[in-house]
Amino acid sequence: MLESTIVKSRVIPSISLAAASASMDDAPLYIPPKERFLEFRRQPSARRAGLLALIGALAFFGVWELGHYLTPVSARKFLPSIQEVGSALYVLFVERNFAHDVYISCWRIFISFVAAAGIGVPIGILMGSFGNIRALFNPTLTAWRYLPAASFIPLLLVWFGPTDQAKIALLFMGVIFFLISLVLDNTSAIQKEFVEAGLTMGASRFQILRGIVVPAALPAVFDSMRNMIAVSWTYLVIAEIVGAQDGIGAVMMRAGRFLSVDVIMAGILTIGALGVATDLVFRGICLMLFPWNAERRS
Amino acid sequence: MNVVVTGLSQTSSAPPLKSSRISKEYLGGTFKALDDVSFELHENQITAFLGPSGCGKTTMLRIIAGLEYPTRGRLQVFGKNVDGPGPDRGMIFQAYTSFPWLTALQNVEYGMKILGVSAQERRERAMSFLKLVHLEKFSNSYPRSLSGGMKQRVALARTLAQNPAILLMDEPFGALDAQVRWEMQELMIELIEREKKTVVAITHDIEEAIYLADRIIFFSRQPGRIKADIPLTFKGGRRYKRKEELLELPGYAELERDLFAMMREEIR
Repeated sequence: MLESTIVKSRVIPSISLAAASASMDDAPLYIPPKERFLEFRRQPSARRAGLLALIGALAFFGVWELGHYLTPVSARKFLPSIQEVGSALYVLFVERNFAHDVYISCWRIFISFVAAAGIGVPIGILMGSFGNIRALFNPTLTAWRYLPAASFIPLLLVWFGPTDQAKIALLFMGVIFFLISLVLDNTSAIQKEFVEAGLTMGASRFQILRGIVVPAALPAVFDSMRNMIAVSWTYLVIAEIVGAQDGIGAVMMRAGRFLSVDVIMAGILTIGALGVATDLVFRGICLMLFPWNAERRS
Repeated sequence: MNVVVTGLSQTSSAPPLKSSRISKEYLGGTFKALDDVSFELHENQITAFLGPSGCGKTTMLRIIAGLEYPTRGRLQVFGKNVDGPGPDRGMIFQAYTSFPWLTALQNVEYGMKILGVSAQERRERAMSFLKLVHLEKFSNSYPRSLSGGMKQRVALARTLAQNPAILLMDEPFGALDAQVRWEMQELMIELIEREKKTVVAITHDIEEAIYLADRIIFFSRQPGRIKADIPLTFKGGRRYKRKEELLELPGYAELERDLFAMMREEIR
């Protein structure tokens, strides 16, 4: 580090040095005010956060269970208890090969998402980097964002029939247009001085795009992808209504025809659990790919 | 003695930078950020652009860097017309531009990689420049774990490692707190002396301008014009690393007072 030594030692009458305090022990101990439950912006410790999360989850299941028992017995099958949903889930997996449906659904999400990200991310990065490319595509893409993916079901059925392609295409359409606009924002939000620093160092446009814009935008792009794969899961049931043969959504739709609410709820829980798992996987990938961007824990 | 001598050698006939009648107009000429600005830089001199906010000094620096273009006039680096940014004019920004996805060492290597320096030479040179800015212990750290002053030193090392003829600095210490700023200024003097650079530094801090510069170009605002071109003769052609020595020189107080008066005139 830079050290600064005194050039000329001379007496400075206007400055007197404070005498060192004899001992710290005689100062009274400071007792902070009592912490209340509602403190603005204060983050709980990891242990406290875990405990609170558990209480929150228990409250949810408690209300559900309470609702079940408060429902008149004749209508209770429309709000099954947790145990009933649990056993429906058990039966699904053990007797009805539900694992296959889960696998099919995951595969559809995966394929459609890889395709959407593979096309959407490069387009979004180019649009966020170059005003002309943005002007070329953005007005058209904006219109697409306002069209609900479900409105394409009739068209996709005509084109593909009740096939896998139709379902994957629907999931793809539900994701790509929003993903492009998110990636566009992520890319145009990078610090403009990064690009300017590249320019003044003599980097070519391709070098700046590859070596500066992409790495600068990528963590935010991955965050957008994580959010969009959540949206993809929300489209799953709609996608699997189309010519329902297999998949979680198909099982749920079939159960609906027989008023098996316990099976429907088992399906909902499964999608929720898979959503959480996807989120965790994405977070893990981000930590691995971008160690330089890791949140500093305090 | 803690005094370094300014090199004022004029090797080539063309000046490092020549600005001839540069104007920058916005909104079809209704707003003039710069109006007929002409000056020459001298080799191995530190020139400070001083002036109130909105006087066009940043626009002038960005035009020199090639990041913006003038509406009128001509700009030449060693007699060659400037037509865009280039590594002959290295730039240090006020915002931290050390890339967060690269370690300190990789950051310093980046500029040389652009210039096509071999991996081996790149690494050695980057390491020696990190030493110069006292960051050799942090070569494998990401900018995230570095302080503001350290990030700025990484950017400085990266730019210097490219060996630009002219070093442009846009309020490089503006975001730093007073003590770090002062350390950086001393480091700056040391590095410029060592690397023999022609420097243009923007500042609106009068004390910083007097401390760093061999010459101050004072900009007035709306329209941006050169109000005064002041060689700091009271330093006697030397650079002082220690500020306190500067304070004792005759002429320091008068210059500071005059600059304050000029600044006050502008902001009224």
